[in-house]
Amino acid sequence: MQLDFAARELTIKLVYYGPALSGKTTNLQSLHEAADPTITGRLMTLETRDDRTLFFDLLPFTFRDKGGLSVRLKVFTVPGQVIHASTRRLVLQGADGIAFIADSQVAETENNATAFMDLKENLKTYGITLKQIPLIIQFNKRDLPAVRSDGEIASLAAQGREPVYLAVATRGNGVVESFVGLLYLTWSALDAEHDLNRKFGFDSTAFLESVARRLGHDRPLPELLGACVGGALEVLRPEAE
Amino acid sequence: MAASTGTVLDELTMGRAVELESLVDRSALREMAESARDLFGISLRIFSESGALLADASQRPRLYALLDEQKAGQAALSAVVSAVKGLEPEPETELDYVCVTGARYLVRAISYDGRRLGRLILGPFRDPVAAPSAGVAALAPGLDPARLAEAWAELPAVAEDPARQIVRHLSLSLDLILFSGHKALLTSNMHLMSVQESYRELSDKNTKLQHAFDRLKELDRLKSNFLGTVSHELRTPLTSIIGYSEMLREGIAGELSPEQKEFVQTIHEKGEQLLGLIKGLLDLSKLESGTMSLRKSELDVVPLIQDVAQTLAPAARKKAVEISVESEPGLPSVWGDAERLRQVFLNLCENALKFTPAEGSVRLAIRAAVLERRGDDEGRGLVLFSSKRPAIEVRVIDSGIGVPDAEKERVFDAFYQVDGSATREHEGTGLGLSIVRRLIDAHDGTVRVEDNVPRGAIFVVTIPCRRTTIA
Repeated sequence: MQLDFAARELTIKLVYYGPALSGKTTNLQSLHEAADPTITGRLMTLETRDDRTLFFDLLPFTFRDKGGLSVRLKVFTVPGQVIHASTRRLVLQGADGIAFIADSQVAETENNATAFMDLKENLKTYGITLKQIPLIIQFNKRDLPAVRSDGEIASLAAQGREPVYLAVATRGNGVVESFVGLLYLTWSALDAEHDLNRKFGFDSTAFLESVARRLGHDRPLPELLGACVGGALEVLRPEAE
Repeated sequence: MAASTGTVLDELTMGRAVELESLVDRSALREMAESARDLFGISLRIFSESGALLADASQRPRLYALLDEQKAGQAALSAVVSAVKGLEPEPETELDYVCVTGARYLVRAISYDGRRLGRLILGPFRDPVAAPSAGVAALAPGLDPARLAEAWAELPAVAEDPARQIVRHLSLSLDLILFSGHKALLTSNMHLMSVQESYRELSDKNTKLQHAFDRLKELDRLKSNFLGTVSHELRTPLTSIIGYSEMLREGIAGELSPEQKEFVQTIHEKGEQLLGLIKGLLDLSKLESGTMSLRKSELDVVPLIQDVAQTLAPAARKKAVEISVESEPGLPSVWGDAERLRQVFLNLCENALKFTPAEGSVRLAIRAAVLERRGDDEGRGLVLFSSKRPAIEVRVIDSGIGVPDAEKERVFDAFYQVDGSATREHEGTGLGLSIVRRLIDAHDGTVRVEDNVPRGAIFVVTIPCRRTTIA
């Protein structure tokens, strides 16, 4: 997070992490398509010739609050391929919240787990544990055959701490819900740490609802947040030590 | 850590590090502005957010030149310039300004990622149907109204909507240029940062490996020291055991019954066997730590080898293996330690005997050879390294079980046994060949294994003669 008090400008970094070809870039494309053009810029994709992400994708959002605070969201993806380890680490640095995009196919279970351990290791190099960072998990590609069943995911998710979303990013299903869930967790954690709502007279519920509205989802926040299976939208608070 | 490189990425994507000047090439920007002016016929200026004029594609209209000749006109025009420069449109919008003459300007913000990076000023131009403002005549009282009207008519005539479209089009083109520029800037920085990060990672790993390697070397040294100490401490009491058992056997402490004699004999033999092993360990530790000193002298190898063969003849007879020595006449002497070389050949012959079945043979062939030192693997730089030295080659040829290809190098490792299983057929400590290799190394010579056809192995030892070279 970067806070410019003079300009009343807050920049938040969200990172979409996950194994290669799990649909991180597709999530961003889908968000970009859904978004009202006044709140988003161009989706910047640094890709190789075969459409694989080389360094990262970057989707910027800018929201202006009535109170004059301008909230800028920078949504990044990391390159999923194993060889881009150092790039993943670079992009991950300074992330305020992470969406882990998993591939629902049964055959990809191992790759999901490996990518998650990679995330854990990379966070460790910055002195951060998974417990300390806002995190949601999205099971993408629900439309494919041979995917892990809803029941299996729900029962496992119920035992986990983080909210889990089901999505078909190519059709935009579940993409905004995942994004709003991530933003909710991230904002809550930043607010708990920096007291943003009070300092800027900011109404976070209204903010999140307006974000969702401009992404084409005109629903009250509790309903949007209820779209996850299992886990908990538990707000992270700085540990009292 | 990747802290510094990560900060660069943050500045380029999160913060305010992006400036118009850093994203576009000034001369190319000027060319684009000039081309737009030529196309639309209207002056165009591009300023950065800090107020620097980055591109100026303007022509001073004759109307302004005429007004400039008058004092009042001059003052009014400079007021126009500062007023236009002072306009600050919001991102994605443009402001309209009408100057004292009635001519118009459009000022549009150049913005990127929601932030204003500069301004684009289009004008002056006139509305096709509008007349000059009434105040113009007052600014140039002495001027012929007809000339003024003529100069007014020369101003580019554009209606408001097309003019707004022109600035929007130009700002969209600029936006694309900025986006591409930013993307290129990010890509090149990411390339650099990824390389730095990978380099850092590799350096970390190298450091860890180096530490591990240093630690292993230290452990190896400790092991050799330990071996040396323990062997030495074992040898002292063992010498007493052997000595006293020998005295018992000789009957110095009184006559022994045949059974007692046999038992004492066994104690003595096993003691000698154990002493051999301990000596081997001691030699190895000395060789490894580099503390073994060789007493080298001119030495004739043939009698030495014959002596070895004689020593082993009884054992060979017992096993029904034939042992023989053949040598070329007139062989030169080598430069070596007689005792150690004897140890080498004794070891090799014992080995050969051990692995050769009954009715087999062990042959020791001695001949003159040339020891060649090579340059690198490709034979480059030979002139720098090569010294052909006369040498003696001893081949220990057996008809035993042979050495598989994969084991040909490893047999010289300390404690290595081709058959490492607990139930292996042939006993031994696995020290012999490693001592042979080290002793031959200490003689500047070489030792290798070859296959004997149809069966068996050949150990080829080459020892250089005096330190002379063959021209």
